[in-house]
Amino acid sequence: MRHGVFSMNGREWSLLAACAVAIFVLSVASPYFATSGNAATILRNSVELLLVGLGMTLLLAMGGIDVSVGIVMGLAAIGVGRALGADLPVPITALAGPIIGAALGLLTATVVVLGRVPAIVGTLGLLGVYRTAIFVLLGGQWLSGLPTGLTVLLGTTVLGIPIAAYVIALAYLAMWTALRRTPFGLHLLAIGNSEEKARLSGIPVVKVRFITFIVSGALTGLAATFYVANYRNVEMTIGSTLALDAIAAVVLGGTSILGGRCSLIGTVLGVLLLRILQNGLLLVGVPSLWQPVVTGGLLIGVLALEVATSRLSLSQLGWTRK
Amino acid sequence: MSAPFLVAKGIVKRFGALTALSGIDLEIRSGEVLALLGDNGAGKSTFVKILAGAHAPSDGDILVEGSPVMFSSPKDAASAGIATIFQELALSENLSISENVFLGRELKRSIFGIPFLRRQEMRKRVDGLLTELDTHISDPEAPVGSLSGGQRQAVAICRALNLNAKLVIMDEPTAALAVAETRKVLSLTRRLAERGCAVVLISHNIADVVEVADRMAVFRRGRKVAERLRAGTNPEEIVSLITGAHPDVRALEKTN
Ligand SMILES: Nc1ncnc2c1ncn2[C@@H]1O[C@H](COP(=O)(O)OP(=O)(O)O)[C@@H](O)[C@H]1O
Ligand SMILES: [Mg+2]
Repeated sequence: MRHGVFSMNGREWSLLAACAVAIFVLSVASPYFATSGNAATILRNSVELLLVGLGMTLLLAMGGIDVSVGIVMGLAAIGVGRALGADLPVPITALAGPIIGAALGLLTATVVVLGRVPAIVGTLGLLGVYRTAIFVLLGGQWLSGLPTGLTVLLGTTVLGIPIAAYVIALAYLAMWTALRRTPFGLHLLAIGNSEEKARLSGIPVVKVRFITFIVSGALTGLAATFYVANYRNVEMTIGSTLALDAIAAVVLGGTSILGGRCSLIGTVLGVLLLRILQNGLLLVGVPSLWQPVVTGGLLIGVLALEVATSRLSLSQLGWTRK
Repeated sequence: MSAPFLVAKGIVKRFGALTALSGIDLEIRSGEVLALLGDNGAGKSTFVKILAGAHAPSDGDILVEGSPVMFSSPKDAASAGIATIFQELALSENLSISENVFLGRELKRSIFGIPFLRRQEMRKRVDGLLTELDTHISDPEAPVGSLSGGQRQAVAICRALNLNAKLVIMDEPTAALAVAETRKVLSLTRRLAERGCAVVLISHNIADVVEVADRMAVFRRGRKVAERLRAGTNPEEIVSLITGAHPDVRALEKTN
């Protein structure tokens, strides 16, 4: 199978078309939608979801999942915020996010891989633990009015392009290379197809699963760095819809919820479509309370469509496989 | 005859309360096709998985070229020169042929410490192997899940050949194949043996086995109940050994 960095299949072209249609309809529906300021808002709001989505793509491709990403981002954001507040050198505050995220990914992997707990259950359990941790760490209060050091650093332009854009492009390229150009990617996809067969083929299954959870954690932590740079505060409810958004965007993009098949460019397009719709609906006056309904509806709709067009079989969705 | 490539001594395997294998002794020789026969559930696949490093034996020893080995993974067995084509064909349906042939042992080149796949080399090697096997596949980049049973078997055999294996184990390689494809796979087992490989072949089809095997071992309820050279037996005797109607088996099963 040939895979170029930006090569697209039918699914991905349809998604691009869906984005175009959404943009067209929303431009007609709201005079505020098709403005350069709003486009910038959509892109800025897509950054954290994209980074988390890249990690989620690898996890789903491997037959894993992580429903605790929102709260992991929250914990990492507290770390970044505290580091900023303590006036640590800015590059160190930037690295605090991915480092904390990777450490939490290691913990997740330990529970899920060594503990042999299904990923969806293990990460749900950790979600509960982390939620309390956030409450304890924040003591019921927001971190707010954080210094601007990180915002300035990520906004600094090199050759006319902000550093933030380089970091995001690098994250995408690194994931694409790992997935499509190294043995690691083949091993991950083989595990997603069947863990037992992967093991029989001599693949170091435990190692690959550990690395993937750690990488996904690091990307979620990097998202926290961007979050703090963007908003300069960390509130109690941080990331509460992130897992739903990320899983929906990734599945929209053509990655199989059952593993073994994935698309990074699909994830990029899925993230954009989701954020365009969420932004547009807000502009046409739909309360933000309805956003998760739209996201959840899209997720269920796409899965139903895949069953109908038999990309997935009903018995697979009934979890008979494994 | 040369020293055996592999010797299994007193191999026992328990799955909880179930004893799948009780005390299997077997010698496997280079240049020879050894057939394992037996009814469903006799323990053939389990035995072969132990040789392949996929299961650890509950008891017993394995010697490879005279020295004891302990396989903790299929990778260990592979590095001892043992390649196994499992009954479930451990192929990844979502990956291409060359990706499957090299899975777990990819060719790579390191650039800045990153191991990049050498896809073209892998493709070339696999094309060569497929030609050698006289197997034509129209789209070599297609996922293995879209191939026919015989083509998948050929991919699995490529995998074994590519390992330069000294022992190739095939678990029911012809079970899902059409007649012509079965012929091809059987002649391939002979060709492997002529190359000096030891070959272990598991099959239900006694006619097939008698045609290609030099030696036959019959399993029954987790025990090896008989071993015969091709010259010293016939299909009727093999059948009676498998079903337990043979006097030797009756005598053996009466003693415990
Ligand atoms: N992983 C396993 N766990 C539990 N029991 C098993 C397992 N694998 C095989 N068995 C049991 O061991 C016995 C031998 O099976 P198997 O080796 O597959 O037989 P064969 O290949 O000769 O048909 C059967 O009773 C089977 O149910
Ligand atoms: Mg079997």
